[in-house]
Amino acid sequence: MKKLLAATLGVLSAVGGFVDIGDLVAASQAGARFGMAHAWVLLLGVVGICAYAEMAGRIAAVSGRAVFDLVRERLGPRVALLNLVASYLVTVLTLAAELGGVALALQLASGVSYLIWVPVAALAVWLVLWRMRFQLMERVFGLAGLTLVVFAVALFWLPTDWAALGRGALHGGAAGHGWGAYWFVAVALFASTVSPYEVFFFSSGGVEENWSAADLADARTSVLIGFPVGGFLALSLIATATVVYHPSGASLGSLDQVAQPVVLAFGGVGLAVAVLAFFAVTFGAALETGLGAAYAAAQYFGWQWGKRVSPREAARFHSVLLVSVLLGVLVLLTTVDPVTLTEYMLIITAVALPLTYLPILIVANDRTYLGDRVNGPVLNLLGAVFLLLIVAASVAAIPLAVMTTMGR
Amino acid sequence: MRMQLGRQLLDRQIVDRDGRLVGKVDDVEFGVDTDGVPYVAALLSGHEALAQRIGGRAGRLLLAVADRLVDDPPVTPLRVPYRLVERVDSAVRLRVGLDELPGSPTEQWLRRHLIDRIPGSHRASG
Repeated sequence: MKKLLAATLGVLSAVGGFVDIGDLVAASQAGARFGMAHAWVLLLGVVGICAYAEMAGRIAAVSGRAVFDLVRERLGPRVALLNLVASYLVTVLTLAAELGGVALALQLASGVSYLIWVPVAALAVWLVLWRMRFQLMERVFGLAGLTLVVFAVALFWLPTDWAALGRGALHGGAAGHGWGAYWFVAVALFASTVSPYEVFFFSSGGVEENWSAADLADARTSVLIGFPVGGFLALSLIATATVVYHPSGASLGSLDQVAQPVVLAFGGVGLAVAVLAFFAVTFGAALETGLGAAYAAAQYFGWQWGKRVSPREAARFHSVLLVSVLLGVLVLLTTVDPVTLTEYMLIITAVALPLTYLPILIVANDRTYLGDRVNGPVLNLLGAVFLLLIVAASVAAIPLAVMTTMGR
Repeated sequence: MRMQLGRQLLDRQIVDRDGRLVGKVDDVEFGVDTDGVPYVAALLSGHEALAQRIGGRAGRLLLAVADRLVDDPPVTPLRVPYRLVERVDSAVRLRVGLDELPGSPTEQWLRRHLIDRIPGSHRASG
């Protein structure tokens, strides 16, 4: 039972973090335009994030310090400051996109314009961050996010050609949209799978929950269950979009189109469940990104952070948290379309990926923090290969975006 | 005691007796003993010390922002005499509590002008 409870941190990180507005948009668009051809990207992303989250969890458990607490010691204050500024901007942009997702879910449920819902959603997110217990928070939104499984269930009600799905996953290609667009979508989907805030949140959450070396097995379990569950949910988003949209090759531009496969399968009830799932995963991810942004700043400067102390004892941390949520609202109130915002956010995330993952690999090999619990050769090989992929995605992101005018 | 300052002390988290976070080792202050041998006299922590070490435009910008969030700038960094250090591992652990040290001016300013004005700021949510 205790093990089960411990796994919820991983499940929240997986569902709220793995599947968030980025996946809802990127996975559905990939499925609609390219069928199952991007399934391998998800698989690769899951393996990579599992490897790196395991490292981050191990660092947190053994040294009692979150990864970004240590970055400054290894990179020096100047490079780490650059890293902080870039990571903070990307994370706040992600927070804005998630808040937009929450507001769009509320628009789907109520029919009232999402712009009205933006301040409401932001206030709700901030209140949860201000008041709700950390563990309660992760359980509520982690479990509610699992309702996304309705997409996997819908596959059995839709006229799914399983053999064709399998063939698409193995032999899929550009499907007449051009290889530039194919790789653009691949980079966006990859970025949404390995979003940096998942690691910020996971390692800081470990410190917040006082992990010690004895909790290492639990941390590993939650990574190895949580992230694959998230990957499976994202895969079912690709699959339903493939079944419903790919035959006509239509592009997706809105959240109600993402929900359409479930509506076709289960009608109004399906829509209700899908809206609940959208709300839960975007709200959960908004909490994680808000905390992630504030963790990054507090850990660079050495401020008191976390939800275990009262806000007045972590005044700087809570000020950054508040400012980050307000910045997210400001971005949305420019009336930028949240789905478009998500597409841009994913490309910028892709560019910034190495800033998060390289330091983790460095610290995970540092005996001064980890003693004999440093990476083994297999994990280092896996980590190095994954890092090469990340650098490739980071370098390719902007040229692909420009060449294909955002994949169009 | 042998220690590589750059690798083991600078930029490390300072933690008080009860595990509360004090700040980072943003800089160190040297003293010279009677034999003329230099030693680490104190740890310096605060935006001013950090801004100086970062230097350039980024350092000046950091200082300008931090100085707006205190009552009477310029402030001097927190000075922790090295004899208060209990041990150094993944963090610098002190033998005193946070309340025995002068508090951070920025923390106090934000507490007074922002956080304390919001209901519920006294309760930890856990």
